Amino acid sequence: MFDGRSIPFAIRSLPSSTALRIVGFDTATDDTVVGAFVDGETVSKKVIPPGPDGRPVHSEGLLEAVTAAAAEAGGWPRIDRIAVGTGPGTFTGIRIGLATANGIALSTGIGLAGVSTLAALARPVLGPGQEILALLDAHRGEVFAALYGPAGQILLEPFVCGPDELAPRIGDSGAGLRAVGPGAVRFSDELDRAGIATAGPEAGFNHLSAVAICELGAAVDSEQLSNPLEPTYLRVPDAQLWLERDGRKASP
Amino acid sequence: MARGSGPGGRPRRVTVGELTLPALAIETSCDDTCAAVLEGPFILSNVISSQAIHGKYGGVVPEVASRHHLELTGPVIRLALEQAEVEVPDLDSIAVTAGPGLIGALLIGLSTAKAMAAPRRLPLIPTDHLQGHVAANFLEPDPIEPPFICLIASGGHTLLAGVREHGGFEILGETLDDAAGEAIDKAARMLGLGYPGGPALEKLAAEGDPGAFEFPIAMSRDPGLDFSFSGLKTALVYRCRDFEEGEIESNRADLAAGFQAAVVEQLVSKLKRAIDLEGWPAVALGGGVAANGPLRRAVQVSAANAASS
Ligand SMILES: [Zn+2]
Repeated sequence: MFDGRSIPFAIRSLPSSTALRIVGFDTATDDTVVGAFVDGETVSKKVIPPGPDGRPVHSEGLLEAVTAAAAEAGGWPRIDRIAVGTGPGTFTGIRIGLATANGIALSTGIGLAGVSTLAALARPVLGPGQEILALLDAHRGEVFAALYGPAGQILLEPFVCGPDELAPRIGDSGAGLRAVGPGAVRFSDELDRAGIATAGPEAGFNHLSAVAICELGAAVDSEQLSNPLEPTYLRVPDAQLWLERDGRKASP
Repeated sequence: MARGSGPGGRPRRVTVGELTLPALAIETSCDDTCAAVLEGPFILSNVISSQAIHGKYGGVVPEVASRHHLELTGPVIRLALEQAEVEVPDLDSIAVTAGPGLIGALLIGLSTAKAMAAPRRLPLIPTDHLQGHVAANFLEPDPIEPPFICLIASGGHTLLAGVREHGGFEILGETLDDAAGEAIDKAARMLGLGYPGGPALEKLAAEGDPGAFEFPIAMSRDPGLDFSFSGLKTALVYRCRDFEEGEIESNRADLAAGFQAAVVEQLVSKLKRAIDLEGWPAVALGGGVAANGPLRRAVQVSAANAASS
């Protein structure tokens, strides 16, 4: 198994747009991940894991943590943009994150930078000669996945599939391939069988980092800041599936 | 929507009448995305975006509703502020429906409202949806002063609220199973009328004979003020089953008329009983089912009797 703690390369240097004050957060996974970034320096980062009952605490914990992060970064009037993970992930989690971002933007006029939750998972592990397969547990025995190149370029846009379908989809580019994220932990046996290297459950980068959210948010072009943000669901509602499959009215 | 399923308790002791500066109000408890701006009891703007998409599913699908709320909440709030000619810094408070309702749908409004309020340290007022129905009666241009009795009937709830003060209400009776609007929607679906079924059922019922088929008036012997609509729905299922192929079509108008009459009769008889018991001097009607013509007319008669007694 690959030991994630001994990654031999540093995080890529960022473009000059990092001279920014950014509050970043993500609620697409079971964690509530919040941080702040000032001129490229992390001034606040927090991960609130699910409560004792295993349920995420997005609704209860997010806004308070975001408010604290904004204060650490100099207060809302000085914040330049808000970076938010738009998923994929749990639908309710994504919506709590985006609704919170939309609310702050409505109230303060601060621009929103939507970033892919999968790209944020891949980001700390990017490096020369490597392709990173970022995976989230999509439940129902499936993963949300996306493939990134050494500099973070998207090789495969986010998609949802069963773990067995990953290897055929990815093909073999000859580059070193590593799977990271909660989906890699959840399906480590299946990935092992498919010959895809994983990092093991303890490796830090299997969890989303607020720093990565802020970094990706910093890299978003000012013209691309938007409100409201587009969520990345990757799945249509079940009711729509039933309707399309059966061609008849689904029960609510 | 299920009673008490929302994060908010009830009744809450907040009314629009106590607020003087502009307040923004947000409601996302079911399938309408709503925002309004109020100045005291005066409505400066009121924007409602109804999600027509649920029609093809024959009812409100929570996941579909939540997705639409996320898309619509921002634009609806912006439009409400624009129409009221109010900017966020002018706001004095933000009120939001905390429950009861679809939990995923409520979370969109709540998260948005909380996030709007926090950076400006505005007071956030989590509001009970039913209290909202009651408090709607305090608004200009035709406010009603307590005491009055309020019949609230919609797709999500059916209850009689006794209102003695601005800050709260007493539940005198409520449905033990389906909501009146829910029963009407289900009946409309059985009769092939689509969703939402209220207006279509009313239109069809106008062409039918309410006495052609007998439908049970539930709870009529029950001395209390609670409602029940599931038996009525079952009665319609059996009626429809008894027909041969094609017979439903030719009896649809009579079935609709009989069903609607039974719903109205139950609502109004409980309302009358409540008035007889406590002598309420005024009657208010709220919720989506309040748009039903026969119900309005029957309630007007009861209200006139109440006022003259
Ligand atoms: Zn209602």
